[in-house]
Amino acid sequence: MANVKFDNITVSYGNHTVLKNFSLEVESGKIVCLVGPSGCGKTTLVRALLGLNKPETGSIMVGERCLFDAKKRVNVPAEKRNIGIVFQDYAVWPHMTVLENVCYPLKKQRRPKDEIQKRAMRALEQVHMTEYAKHLPNQLSGGQQQRVAIARALVVDSDVLVMDEPITNLDAKLREEMLLEIRMIQKRLNATILYITHDQQSALQLCDKMAIMEQDGTLCQYGTDEEIILHPANRFTFEFIGVSNFLPVEKGSNGAVLNCGSPIPYDGEIPQEALAGGYEMGVRPNDIVFDASSPILAKVTSRVFLGSEYNYFLTVGDRQIRVQQSMLDARTRGVADEGETVGIRFLNTRFYPAKKGAQTV
Amino acid sequence: MKRYDGASAELAAVDGRKRLNMDKVMTAICFVLLLVIVVIPIVMIIYNAFFNEGKLELGTFVDQIKEEKNLSAMWNTLKIAIGATILGTIMGVFYAWLLGRSDIPAKGLMRALFNIPYMFPPFLGAMAWDMMFNGRSGYINKFLRTLLGLKTMPININSVWGIIFVEVSYYFPFVFMQVVSALERMDPTLEESARIAGAKQRQVIWKITLPLVKPAISAGALLILTTSLAHFGVPAILGYARGIYTLPTRIYAVIYNSGGSFDGIRQGAALSVMLVVVVSLALILQNRILSAGSYDIIKGKSMRPTLIKLRGAKIPLLVLAILTLVLIVIVPLVMIVLISFLKAYGLPLAFENFTLDQYKTVFASNGTIDSIKNSLFASITAGIVCMFLGTLVAYVVQKIRPKGKGALEVISMLPYAIPGTVLSIGVILAWSGRILGINLYNTIWIILVAYLARYLSFSMKTSSAALLQVHSSLEEAARVCGASHTESLADITLPLIRPAMVSGFFLIFLPAMREVTTSILLYGPYTRTLGVQIYSLRDAGMIPQAAALATVAIGIIIVLNTIVTKLTKDRKGV
Repeated sequence: MANVKFDNITVSYGNHTVLKNFSLEVESGKIVCLVGPSGCGKTTLVRALLGLNKPETGSIMVGERCLFDAKKRVNVPAEKRNIGIVFQDYAVWPHMTVLENVCYPLKKQRRPKDEIQKRAMRALEQVHMTEYAKHLPNQLSGGQQQRVAIARALVVDSDVLVMDEPITNLDAKLREEMLLEIRMIQKRLNATILYITHDQQSALQLCDKMAIMEQDGTLCQYGTDEEIILHPANRFTFEFIGVSNFLPVEKGSNGAVLNCGSPIPYDGEIPQEALAGGYEMGVRPNDIVFDASSPILAKVTSRVFLGSEYNYFLTVGDRQIRVQQSMLDARTRGVADEGETVGIRFLNTRFYPAKKGAQTV
Repeated sequence: MKRYDGASAELAAVDGRKRLNMDKVMTAICFVLLLVIVVIPIVMIIYNAFFNEGKLELGTFVDQIKEEKNLSAMWNTLKIAIGATILGTIMGVFYAWLLGRSDIPAKGLMRALFNIPYMFPPFLGAMAWDMMFNGRSGYINKFLRTLLGLKTMPININSVWGIIFVEVSYYFPFVFMQVVSALERMDPTLEESARIAGAKQRQVIWKITLPLVKPAISAGALLILTTSLAHFGVPAILGYARGIYTLPTRIYAVIYNSGGSFDGIRQGAALSVMLVVVVSLALILQNRILSAGSYDIIKGKSMRPTLIKLRGAKIPLLVLAILTLVLIVIVPLVMIVLISFLKAYGLPLAFENFTLDQYKTVFASNGTIDSIKNSLFASITAGIVCMFLGTLVAYVVQKIRPKGKGALEVISMLPYAIPGTVLSIGVILAWSGRILGINLYNTIWIILVAYLARYLSFSMKTSSAALLQVHSSLEEAARVCGASHTESLADITLPLIRPAMVSGFFLIFLPAMREVTTSILLYGPYTRTLGVQIYSLRDAGMIPQAAALATVAIGIIIVLNTIVTKLTKDRKGV
């Protein structure tokens, strides 16, 4: 197992540059999630790693091995890179049985027959698919095909394992199971896994580290999940990894105010630069609490019970905000009814420059 | 995340760094073969129509256009094509609606029977109708004359209307099949909502159903139009002897009468240009109409529509449908088989006049056995070569996407738009010693070359469709698993499109087996094909013998078709 180092990668399709001078280092033996909105270049980056497209600049190293270097004119062909891949659409070959699919990479390495058989069966065991060895892919469910694809990627000792949104087509329960299984496989093999997704929820469940990519293909933050949740580097990360409320802040005649149609006095902490104008206060729905003593009043427009929490929509001035109240909180403080006016208090607030023309709920 | 459309082109670009690689070799082979097979014959026609010995000479062309016989042939071609299109479309739509939307019984059986005219060679049908309703000696004509006490024959099939009738009976399935499948895929709620909104049954048919299947109707109609414009067999059998010419038969006459001299071929080339212009106009029309149509409301999924109750009209309509089937499928077939047992043509159809001698003669004749062998050789070889070449072109166009892939696609589809007669002239001009001294004239090879050009687009279309189904990630997965480009092709892509390649083969082999249009101009003394042999036997007045060979040919076609249907059915099961 080895680390992966992208250095200064640029990839364009025609005139459209998807990645520009992109650099990222993935540590050995970690699960790293590459998270970003659709179309931000995650798949392009992975295709460059696999040797399925050719960057214009930069280099790609896996461990000590150089797979691609634009300057030195190194470009190892896809079949010699020794990287396992689970494609988004599985790419399980429909004309081969499950076992044949899993044997294929070993056959290409010209291994002895009994070794191929043994290793393929072991890989199938790891994904709990031994009993389906003789089945054709069209006799399997999506989740099972998924696992065949994972077994096929596991069967050779790849330096790195890449998974491109492998669980998006599964139902919620199976998704959870697969995430656990991937985690366990990684522990057992101590593999380096590069996991691509646009779904921050599964990323949080799975990864050791997260790399957040912005729409334009730049890397905006790289760190452990806690770092990213608790200290988002910028507004994009903050918005992308969870639900967020934004309220404009301004300097009023008597200190800070929230400008929601009419100014509402705000007595919380605000950094000086946020009062210069054009800033918004960001706060997560579960960081807003009901507090009758607060001067900030809001009207409850709707309340929905979600099983483990209550979800509210409140009107503050001309703004709508979303509030989540945990069951514990609901028991101790009681719930607010629709139409009721409540006092609210904001915890864990952050301040970012306002987006132009954007209105956030 | 969405995958980029050009994913495999991207991979091809990565591979493209090596100086000599398989993608480049395949692309080069495609261009060279298409140049030889398709481009050279077409260029030769145009060149020879307008140039003589290297100089521009429009004389021949202008003379041909001015010639009265040619003008009337052109006029006949248009009359027949338009007549057959209108009547065939009406008939196709009517029966499609009857089988797709009404509660008429025995649908499955009728559907299968309605497809028979599609696989039956029209020129054999024309032969049968000529035997029955020939203006001078048709059997049913004679019977009716005696019965009704008439002086002249009641029906004359050797007329423009006769030709239209026979063409309609073999071409209406083009519209029928398109419309039936469109009706089946149409969302029935579209019709139901109209009923709920207060429209009457009749209004629903006119205002909702028909407009929705209009694209399917026009696609089928224009297929009839282009096929009829280029068709040789039916007008040759019914019109030729009566001096009713169409452009394809006129081209044949010009070349035949000149004894294959270069001058005759040049005249034929000039006429070909006229024919190509007419067909091209029809194809442009087709493109216009088809691109204007909207297919959105038609879904891929099959749904169960509400069937319209015919009530009192059920039995009469069923009888009408059965009569139609009997008339266009069974009657001609029976007629050919009956005639094939006659001692001599013209004898009454009575048991004492029957014999098996015709079959004995047919199988004892070297020419006939040769013709069957020739047809088998040419169609099997053409089928195999086209299967591979068509797949190669499809792969290059779909997956490698080199510069000029558009040109490649257009070139390989070109012969589809060019009538078989015209293609033959191009092949004669190209391969009778004028280029590099290669002379294939009077050999089976020239027929083979013409078949290749004519049928390449068939296999290319099926392979293209199959390749589109093979997602590029399948090949990429193989690459990442350690397979080289060649290995991923051999292990993944080829096995996946093999069924399509096989059906592409039969799509070529079956029509090539019964082909006349192209080979009638290319055959030499020892290289007659099955179709040509039937045509010449009949032309030489040996009608019962021709009928016997036709019966054999029909037998071969039925056996082959059954095998194909079996094969394709089995494959669907997997």
